[in-house]
Amino acid sequence: MSYLGDTIAALATPAGTSAIAVVRASGLHAADLVRAVFGATPPPRLAQHADYRDRSGALVDDVLFTFFAGPNSFTGEDTVEISCHGNPFIAQKILEDLLARGCRPAEAGEFSKRAFLNGRMDLSQAEAVMDLIHARSERALAAANQQLRGALGRQVNQLIELLVNILATIEAYVDFPDEDLPPEDLDKVQRQLDELLAGANRLLATNRYGELLREGIKTVILGEPNAGKSSLLNRLVGRERALVSPEPGTTRDYLEERVVIGSHWLRLVDTAGLNPSAASLEKRGIDKTFEQAAEADLFLWVIDSTRPLPGLPETLAARMTPANTIAVFNKLDLPPAPKGDLPKAFPLVHVSALQGAGLEALQAAVTKLAESFHVEIGDELIAVNARHSLALDQAKAALLEAKQKLAAQEPSDLAASDLRAALDAFGQISGKIDNETILDRLFASFCIGK
Amino acid sequence: MIYNQKPFDVIVCGAGHAGVEASLAAARMGASTLLLTGNIDTIAQMSCNPAIGGQAKGQMVREIDALGGEMAINTDLTGIQFRLLNESKGPAVQSPRAQCDKKAYQFRLKHTLELQPNLQIFQATVTGLIFKDGKVVGCRTNLDIDFMGQTVVITTGTFLRGLMHVGQNKNEGGRLGDFSAKTLSGSLLEAGIELQRLKTGTPPRILGRSINFSELEEQKGDPEPTLFAFHDTRGPEDPFHVEQTGEQRIGWKPGSVQVSCWMTHTTLRSAEIVRDNLHKSAMYSGEISGVGPRYCPSIEDKFVRFADKPRHLLFLEPEGRNTNEYYINGLSTSLPFDIQLELVHSIPGLEQAQLLRPAYAVEYDFAPPTQMFPSLESRKVENLFLAGQINGTSGYEEAAAQGLVAGVNAALKARGGPPLIIKRHEAYIGVLIDDLVTKGTTEPYRMFTSRAEHRLLFNHGSAELRLLQHAKSHMLLNNSRLENIFAKEKRVGYWENRFETSTTVGGSWANAIRRDREAVILPPEFAAEAKEVREEVLYRVAYRGYLDRERRQIEKFKHVEKVRIPDALDYLAIPGLRRESALKLHQLRPQNLGQAGRISGVNPADISILMVLIAAQNAEKS
Repeated sequence: MSYLGDTIAALATPAGTSAIAVVRASGLHAADLVRAVFGATPPPRLAQHADYRDRSGALVDDVLFTFFAGPNSFTGEDTVEISCHGNPFIAQKILEDLLARGCRPAEAGEFSKRAFLNGRMDLSQAEAVMDLIHARSERALAAANQQLRGALGRQVNQLIELLVNILATIEAYVDFPDEDLPPEDLDKVQRQLDELLAGANRLLATNRYGELLREGIKTVILGEPNAGKSSLLNRLVGRERALVSPEPGTTRDYLEERVVIGSHWLRLVDTAGLNPSAASLEKRGIDKTFEQAAEADLFLWVIDSTRPLPGLPETLAARMTPANTIAVFNKLDLPPAPKGDLPKAFPLVHVSALQGAGLEALQAAVTKLAESFHVEIGDELIAVNARHSLALDQAKAALLEAKQKLAAQEPSDLAASDLRAALDAFGQISGKIDNETILDRLFASFCIGK
Repeated sequence: MIYNQKPFDVIVCGAGHAGVEASLAAARMGASTLLLTGNIDTIAQMSCNPAIGGQAKGQMVREIDALGGEMAINTDLTGIQFRLLNESKGPAVQSPRAQCDKKAYQFRLKHTLELQPNLQIFQATVTGLIFKDGKVVGCRTNLDIDFMGQTVVITTGTFLRGLMHVGQNKNEGGRLGDFSAKTLSGSLLEAGIELQRLKTGTPPRILGRSINFSELEEQKGDPEPTLFAFHDTRGPEDPFHVEQTGEQRIGWKPGSVQVSCWMTHTTLRSAEIVRDNLHKSAMYSGEISGVGPRYCPSIEDKFVRFADKPRHLLFLEPEGRNTNEYYINGLSTSLPFDIQLELVHSIPGLEQAQLLRPAYAVEYDFAPPTQMFPSLESRKVENLFLAGQINGTSGYEEAAAQGLVAGVNAALKARGGPPLIIKRHEAYIGVLIDDLVTKGTTEPYRMFTSRAEHRLLFNHGSAELRLLQHAKSHMLLNNSRLENIFAKEKRVGYWENRFETSTTVGGSWANAIRRDREAVILPPEFAAEAKEVREEVLYRVAYRGYLDRERRQIEKFKHVEKVRIPDALDYLAIPGLRRESALKLHQLRPQNLGQAGRISGVNPADISILMVLIAAQNAEKS
């Protein structure tokens, strides 16, 4: 069995926890890769100092790299390890560049899998390797899902939706030439392809994890009207930013502020109160709250301790977990009302936003979540991100190819082949889209059959 | 009584399109073969429309021919109209289609079966299977004669507990005028094979002289017919052709005298009639529990689901040269007869039409195909093979393809040899069988080109070349034909290489072809090559970039296709395998990692885990 068909690459160290990040590539073309990036293959197992320049020649970082010739490497294959500065940005850039140079993103636990399959591990370790694959794939899945719950997921799904429509249309004309279909409108397909390409470009330009690092962790403050959300924001920011008044429903839109808590950038978003009986203007504000919550990384759920425990709307409850939510009981200066249990085991703190009491505890709780957030899935996020960028690039190239083929009036079944390649690429982000999906759409859109 | 003490190598139950190919394939491989049919006069009957081929199906018929099957040559010799579909698209999705003379199609196949050495035909209805030690060893018939066989191929089509509906009227039977196989299902259930129900439908047949053709648009055949068979396999003693009836049997060119189809459409009145009587339709009144196909909707479905479409196209297809019967393609329904009559009369040209047979829907048992190995042998009962509609498919071509593979594999099983497994990157037949055994189906399964990941490699003209190794290793074709194909392969390879490497004005020939195939003037020696060689070379050169991409993708997944999964693997006990995947794998029992990866819900991490486990088990053994 040959497992050396391709060369895989991934981050080998957790991101954001150390001064150095290691990116590793292993496989048939590892030596070629070293030559392409650094000019020459150095003697094996000897760390070299060099500039890492990406394919366009731009300097990414000065790095240490070590080449291991197979079978004397961890995986048993030719392997290169590149140690760069611990900045997650840099690690991601290098990983993206390796993928652009033809590496495939390693699957969860794949280095260990290769090591095992190439006889570099004892037979007794099979189960440990299987466990590792399982654990890492669950984490990668969690990281990918976290991204997809937000704006990225919505946008990718919109693009997939559009692409499935285009393909269903083209396939209808390929597979049912004798049917009574309206005339084939390839101009419309061209316009839809332009729309798709623009969408893919927008996605490539905004990079979710990059945003997380650049813009901070998106932290949404939510709760019932007059629970003290805006006061809390003001307290955390340290100045009067939100308009505060005892009237419930003062915040009708949302407000955003950057703060540093511990070593983390937070993008604090204050939202309109969750008032089930809101008037229409206020309701628009509440809709905005849901929108913001869909993209949130962390939640601060502000609860008025003087009132009975409020319920959570279902869409929010589904997104809020003990790993991303802090229950903030406000107004500890006033006598509390008796409470039942929280719906989930959220970490909880008691504060008085008005007087500033309990803020240290809140900051500590936020720091703890933010850190676990980075440590737990930070490296997976980089992997997910590099994978997404690669997939989007591939999708874009295939879409352009299809567009050119159609413009040159080549048969549309050839363009369909490119569009399927694009769909597969999108599928690497959101999960495989199989033939049935296209056939379902086709039969739903066209009256086919005699 | 027991008919035979020495068992046949292969017994085929059912002589439809699957049974015919199965029995011919087995007999041609040298297996002593018995074909049992409930009615010898309905061998290879086209129960639905009188046509063979069309999208993806046409390619599949040529694949059947490349594997020594009979469908292609039989279509060429009994075809009365030939059209190449999709001429405006690329060569890979162009498909030949033919209208056939229904009776001639049957007669010629019956005659072929009669002449086939090693094959015995007998009229008896199979009522049950005989099992011994968990294996099938023969079958019982309604004549109380038992037939013993080493292997049994079941090709019962829609006859297993077949129930026909015309409105509220119900009749038992697999086809109008035919019987229902009522007890065989019990035998299959007893053996542990699960059965479910499917439904299909067929439109009314009308009398030609009651049609007003002046109202209709004519659809003619192609002046240059595209035939299905790569090679005329007829012996000198078998020059049958429908067009030669009563004439001298020489000098005939297939497709030389073609007949036309006619086009008409439904009207607003038709829609009204259907809508007003929807509650009387067997399908809409809840009479039918089976699932029908999405791609072949009844007229009820069309008017309900596409209510804004003002009219639906209908094709009138002649059922033969010596009959005045016409088939109304597009008007499948299970409305009561009086409403059918009203409906037909609401159609331009058919105002006075006389109905010869009503439209009807038919429900039947099928055995969910995930219960089979890719050889089409049952996982539950050794030596039992299943092919055709009993596996949940629809269409003559899909049935014939499975019949051929089941017949070959039954013969190989009897003889003792590895089965013929066609991969999904090799042919539509491979896609068909792989889809069936790994994914199963919830509606009658029909082939579409879009089901194939690598359809650009499946142009109809390359079928012989694609399947050459299979034909050779199982000796499915005679030596002279094999030699011809090897020679063709050589010529194609020679020109492909020559065009890529030698130059003309402004670069290689290949680039000139890719720039503008119409404008380039090719060397005269090339023009002297056979048409099929020229077409294949030009296709490969012109679309090389695409074809290479397909081949690279196939290469990428080859290694997982090669990793065999041990039959006894206990998925539920594998640590780290997600529960959802474990259950699916446990249920579907894929044979290799490639198949496992195509099961929905099984992700790459699950495949990695299996890969490690299998490697560990293999290492332990050795």
